[in-house]
Amino acid sequence: MKIIAIDERNDIEKRLDVASIIEAANKLNINLEEVIITKNNELVTEKAKIKENDEIKFLSVISGG
Amino acid sequence: MTCSRCRTKPVIKLPNSNISLCKTCFLKYFERKVRKTIRQYKLFKKGQHIGIAVSGGKDSITTLYVLNKITKPQRTTKLTAIAIDEGIKGYRDETLKFAKKVCKELKIPLETTSYKKEFGKTLDQILKKNDIKPCTVCGVFRRYLLNKLAQKLKLDIIATGHNLDDEAQSILMNQFKNNITASARLGPITGIKSDKKFIRRIKPLYFLTEKEIMTYAYLKNLATKYDECPYAKDSYRDEMRTLINNFDRKYPSSKHSIINSFIEILPLLKKNHKKTDINYCKSCGEPTSQEECKTCKLIREIK
Ligand code: SF4
Ligand SMILES: [Zn+2]
Ligand SMILES: [Zn+2]
Repeated sequence: MKIIAIDERNDIEKRLDVASIIEAANKLNINLEEVIITKNNELVTEKAKIKENDEIKFLSVISGG
Repeated sequence: MTCSRCRTKPVIKLPNSNISLCKTCFLKYFERKVRKTIRQYKLFKKGQHIGIAVSGGKDSITTLYVLNKITKPQRTTKLTAIAIDEGIKGYRDETLKFAKKVCKELKIPLETTSYKKEFGKTLDQILKKNDIKPCTVCGVFRRYLLNKLAQKLKLDIIATGHNLDDEAQSILMNQFKNNITASARLGPITGIKSDKKFIRRIKPLYFLTEKEIMTYAYLKNLATKYDECPYAKDSYRDEMRTLINNFDRKYPSSKHSIINSFIEILPLLKKNHKKTDINYCKSCGEPTSQEECKTCKLIREIK
């Protein structure tokens, strides 16, 4: 199904055709250890189910300084 | 998939296990873990004056928030936030604005000093004129100024936002560089007890991962989007982080294993690398292991 995936750290927004959040992360080359995930602005785990047109945001947990 | 404790919707799968937790259960788990670290490693005593080194990033702000929550019922324990403004345009000015806001909301006094005020130049200015590694100068200067400020404020101890990821990176970096003396200075509590001039450091978030801290900060509205220093990219530490995280993804619990095995050998390391005598810098009088402290040396070298 098609979802909107946002990689906040790299400022990337893409429409992806994927079956899961994990698949979306793989396509964006994101290590799931380094992000938290929101689905339609609600915090979820990587195992959360997705449906057509969901907005999945990957927020970086990395800080420096 | 539901919360392993109460069967509602989970917000996180804990990095070191198959447990998933909902918002309420996760916040409880997180705070309990900080309390346990404080108790187990005797990080501070009731009635002490604790300084919290805040940069405005999620780790230090979470430390501030949780310590405030834990110590508030004790009444006698005093908290002061301390901040160093290195002078990093577009980054530190933003994170410090946020730190100021949180301190105001929590009614915690905030004391600030800066490179500009103490050394006459900002980090940006230093890096423009000198070919040196940003984090090296930055680390030395910040530690120096925090200690100086802590003495001035008569703090008993300084709490920092160091987390499990930071520590795992430091441990492996020291291994890869054969610098075990530096590893002997790690752990949840550091510094020499008997020295009046060196204020000890504690790391209340020692056993929590970056991901857990970000989750807590997100749920409590304690995270800003300015959470990455422009100089942090491409550093050795950054590579180490990627290495460890890739490993952890493939072989879960690697990160926790680094910490748990390190904690076991740490008492031996500390014993073998015990400092016999502490020196004081011949130029500025601050504690150092050499004749002159790193800060005074650096100040002379930079243009
Ligand atoms: S990442 Fe390096 S330069 Fe930036 S604040 Fe941290 S120590 Fe300083
Ligand atoms: Zn729950
Ligand atoms: Zn000195």
